[in-house]
Amino acid sequence: MPIVFENIHKAFGDKVILDGVDFTIEDGECFFIVGASGAGKSVMIKHLIGLLRPDQGEIYLDGEEVSRLSEHALYPVRKKCAMVFQNATLFDSMTCAENVALPLRKHTGRSQRESLVAARERLAQVHMEDFADSYPAELGDGMKKRVAIARALTLDPRYVLFDEPTTSLDPVSARRTDAVIRTLADELGVTCVVVSHDLVSIFSIADRIAMLYKGHLRMLGTPTEFQNTSDPIVRQFMRGEAEGPMEV
Amino acid sequence: MTEASATLVDSGPSALGRLMAPVSAGVNDIAGLFRLLGRTLTLISQGKREQGALLEQMYIIGNRSLVFMCITMGFIGAIITFQSAVQSQRLLPDLTMLGATFIKLLVRDMAASLGAMPLATRVGAGIAAEIGSMVVTDQVDALRMCAADPVDYLVVPRFIAATIMGTAVLIIAGAVAILSGMVIANGVFDVNFHTYLNFSMVTLGDVGLGVTKMVAFCAAIAIISAQRGLSTFGGSEGVGTATTRAVVGSSFAIIVLNFFISGLGYFFVPS
Amino acid sequence: MSGSRLLALPARVGASLLSLADQVGGMTLLLSQALKRLVPPRVDRYELVRNLHRMGVQSVPIVMATAAFTGAIMVIQAAPLVERFNAREFVGWGASFVTFREVGPLLIALMFNGRVGANNAAELGTMVVTEQVDGLRALAIDPIGYLVMPRIIAMVVMIFMLTILGDGVALIGSIITGDLLLDVDPRTFLASAIPMLGPWDVIAGLIKSAIFGLMIAVTSCYFGLATRGGAPGVGRSVNASVVAAATGIFVADYLSTFVLG
Repeated sequence: MPIVFENIHKAFGDKVILDGVDFTIEDGECFFIVGASGAGKSVMIKHLIGLLRPDQGEIYLDGEEVSRLSEHALYPVRKKCAMVFQNATLFDSMTCAENVALPLRKHTGRSQRESLVAARERLAQVHMEDFADSYPAELGDGMKKRVAIARALTLDPRYVLFDEPTTSLDPVSARRTDAVIRTLADELGVTCVVVSHDLVSIFSIADRIAMLYKGHLRMLGTPTEFQNTSDPIVRQFMRGEAEGPMEV
Repeated sequence: MTEASATLVDSGPSALGRLMAPVSAGVNDIAGLFRLLGRTLTLISQGKREQGALLEQMYIIGNRSLVFMCITMGFIGAIITFQSAVQSQRLLPDLTMLGATFIKLLVRDMAASLGAMPLATRVGAGIAAEIGSMVVTDQVDALRMCAADPVDYLVVPRFIAATIMGTAVLIIAGAVAILSGMVIANGVFDVNFHTYLNFSMVTLGDVGLGVTKMVAFCAAIAIISAQRGLSTFGGSEGVGTATTRAVVGSSFAIIVLNFFISGLGYFFVPS
Repeated sequence: MSGSRLLALPARVGASLLSLADQVGGMTLLLSQALKRLVPPRVDRYELVRNLHRMGVQSVPIVMATAAFTGAIMVIQAAPLVERFNAREFVGWGASFVTFREVGPLLIALMFNGRVGANNAAELGTMVVTEQVDGLRALAIDPIGYLVMPRIIAMVVMIFMLTILGDGVALIGSIITGDLLLDVDPRTFLASAIPMLGPWDVIAGLIKSAIFGLMIAVTSCYFGLATRGGAPGVGRSVNASVVAAATGIFVADYLSTFVLG
């Protein structure tokens, strides 16, 4: 049982975001967390690498409780559990290659020169080798997202968290990103945790789906189970209908 | 792509072009500032303005900087009195003219020039950050859509408020500098209050020169910062850049204006 | 109601004092966390070099221009007094003492604050609101060792060197103005400046500059990293940072004048 969330509570001020959520993510699966905007999907995965701390509850990664670790003790956790942020968050002051080389230089003791060579190889894996010397500001959103994925993969993590990987991308870039994620799970056995509300991604690459609604886990299951559910709220979300019982 | 980054580095066609580029940019910049000043003065002369906005800006620019300015100028008065007393003791042991000389220099120059630097930081950064945030969140375009002229609506009240209240704050802060200098002179060098508080060297010309400087500096702060704010582009980074350019631009303008006004003062306002 | 109005002023004073204590405490904490990373040195060399280069490029022209005008203005201000007491042989000493010891470090620090400090707060603030700082943390890179330490070192080193440069330029500005305005021969100027000006006067000015640099660095890093709330938030941080650093510079100037006196 690689990733376990147990009874997670989190509030920002008076605003309760997560009100007791439990689920388990299995090794090597492509797990989607879905829900309406503001349902606490991103908040959920940021807890896993200690960017946020739960008010109550426990999170286990490989059997180790990570939610109470100090910032310093979290570094090994973050090396095996990478994250791709919603806005890519590439460092504007560096070229793409330097962005990808940074974790190598900081964590593997390689020189800047060696790291940059390795970074170019990583960029080639996401078909971005031609843009190695470009700055992030010169790239489109889809390209930035691919560089961010390359950067997240440099340390060969066992888990990768994706925060809305296809939001704000054009349909072609979005499907390419989906393909990258599926390849990770299938060929490298990396556990992918994806926060998304892109219905196409959900039904094309998810192994299992968890839906958050009003701070609780509304439903957990496979895409087929989600399609055939009788829960009116889940049905409304999965069909993208404007009218229905769902409150936003 | 390597070509693109290479052209980013050498941005001019020739060495001469590269050397002249900042000069022509500077000339354009100054022309833009004078255009904005012209627009602002024209709108003021036409006489219709937002009373509420003006009072609010006077409060923000004047009252809210008063404590900060009194603290900084209080320290300045103490430092300068201390240093000039220590140094003049090396030449002549008599400190009776310490206060008179200091007060003359303060009235003629330092209350305006040394005071305007922190004022530029405080007021200039505030104006640029506020207007800049409105630009990047499209509020200025929304103003235009409501047929409100951003210069009339945003710049004019800040310009009037900064010129009037800034000058007033500088005068008060200058008085605080005299008081703090007096306390140091008395506490450290045993100069009594009466001897220190000697205005005999201050002429009407000195007062005129000092106030002219204050008004000029405050007007420069307002116009430069408003222009930097209005020309903001590009999200949160843009607001930061605009604020930086406002502080540096107004501080530098104060130093250059001080050079010219002091130079003219030396020839035309004898002391 | 009258009770609440009566308490409004003390409540506001109390609130400002609390937020002041919060900020000073935050800065002290940041500085101590940064200092902890000095032994063993965990400073990112590339970031250090990049920041030194960037800050130097940003501030050299403005500091040189400021220094030249400052040197000139010192002589113009002294001119009426010099003529009254016929003290031409003291112009060199007076102008260079004031410039090296007090006005030079102060004005250079204020300019540096506006240019480099504000820019630094803006850059860090942007990194916070665009989640780049969280991005660093997610890559298991310590933001203080990677972002804050190199900036503090770069700013202290850079302002120190800029002050040496500025002192030289200001001296030239004073000599030219003295020659043109008061007919003080450059040799007379230097003859009065050099013997009466002790090395301590120059060193004290440089120590002061380094202190101002540390002040600007810690303040701008603190306010930059404390940024919240999008583009307007960055503007507010930059504003708060330059104002706080300017206050800090004046207070430090006052204290150091007595300590180094």
